[in-house]
Amino acid sequence: MADQPLHLRPDAALEDALRGLAGAIDWPTAGPSPAGGPDLAAIVRTRIEAGGSAAVTGPAPSRWSWRPARRALVVAVIVLLAVAALAGAASLGLPGLRLILGPAPISPPPSLEPSRSPATGGPGSSMGLGTRVELADLDAQAGFDVTWSADPTLGPPDAAYVDRSKGGQVALVWAARPGLPETLEPGVGLILTAFRGGITDGFFSKAINQDTTVRLVLVDDARAYWLSGEPHFLFYEGPDGVIADDRRWVGDALLWADGPITHRIESSLGLDRTTELAEAMP
Amino acid sequence: MIDRARAGDVAAYESLVRRYQDVALRTAYLVAPEADAADAVQDAFLKAYAALPRFRRGAPLRPWLLRIVANEARNRRRSADRRTGLAVRAAVAGSRDDVAPSPESEVIAEEARGLLLAALGDLRDEEREVIGARYFLGLSEAETAEALAIPAGTVKSRTSRALGRLRATLAERDGGPADG
Repeated sequence: MADQPLHLRPDAALEDALRGLAGAIDWPTAGPSPAGGPDLAAIVRTRIEAGGSAAVTGPAPSRWSWRPARRALVVAVIVLLAVAALAGAASLGLPGLRLILGPAPISPPPSLEPSRSPATGGPGSSMGLGTRVELADLDAQAGFDVTWSADPTLGPPDAAYVDRSKGGQVALVWAARPGLPETLEPGVGLILTAFRGGITDGFFSKAINQDTTVRLVLVDDARAYWLSGEPHFLFYEGPDGVIADDRRWVGDALLWADGPITHRIESSLGLDRTTELAEAMP
Repeated sequence: MIDRARAGDVAAYESLVRRYQDVALRTAYLVAPEADAADAVQDAFLKAYAALPRFRRGAPLRPWLLRIVANEARNRRRSADRRTGLAVRAAVAGSRDDVAPSPESEVIAEEARGLLLAALGDLRDEEREVIGARYFLGLSEAETAEALAIPAGTVKSRTSRALGRLRATLAERDGGPADG
């Protein structure tokens, strides 16, 4: 039968021929044997234990209640950034944004003052987010199409700001209300920022302390990061290395990129709900 | 072992990776011969580690892992700018120790090997995947369904269709009519 043309052989013989072919295929191999390639398992372990500049510990603890369906495939690599052990900066692959994992080149802003009152100039007006602009003018002012979550519970932002001194950052602010609890900023329920990160642009830097947890998560199957726990502080370093002195404290935040645009949502809604809002971005 | 890995025991997960890395590499290579299989498998295992909390306790791990590997490889296939086929070694006798000699190896002569390989290259991606999963990786229908994320019934029908197309292509390449 071995001499019979393949196409004339019965099904079982053709299937046998296919199984036989498997032994002849030059399959890629894993080490660490001399005949194999690199020790793949060891590489995977190393990448888990020290992904980039960050330490990576185990999967998310089971306290998370993973609702299936529409919600993001929030994955579970927990990145615990131990400041003392891991000084350095991580770009995380988000354009224009990096994490400072260790002593920041600028001191933290003054301590949080929980007794402060909401700003009188509208939500977010005291946060140093830039010049307030009308929604109708937003795209022109920003230089790119500004979008926000189409989640019906959110609606359009209550205020919008553009800061040209910080690479044209756009900040959309929603006032706190039932269902949208306050962030660290009194009166502010949610802040969505968007900025274009380029190699000639500056960086927004987040200085992470040892009590802030960074989780690798997914937003629409793309890599994203969830910063939670202790507040961290945010500052902007221009392309010339000059640091803008309007540091501010930030609570829970979700970071992800859509092409060259990096988005950040600050909210007190928790990971699941914030991810839902992010995934409802058009 | 799986429970330990789920609990964050990286050494336990490394052992799992070691156990399944060969079949994972083959899966990646099968799905995207033109891409770097080791790269795809590394990333797939990282994603699988992150997704372990969503792995259903008691379910078979291998097809679940291979599904992630196949997805990762497929993503790379889409981004690759060239297509190449599976490569075949010059001689089966030179196969590595961990590739058990198949009793069917002798059934197919060396020149027929090349013909069969070329015919496989003419199949659609989804057909080649199902043929590869069933006959190269030795997965059961159920495992193939899980790994390729298709219903079990589709595995059966797609395999049958792929074999038919393979036969027709072989006939075309061999200059004779397909039988059946």
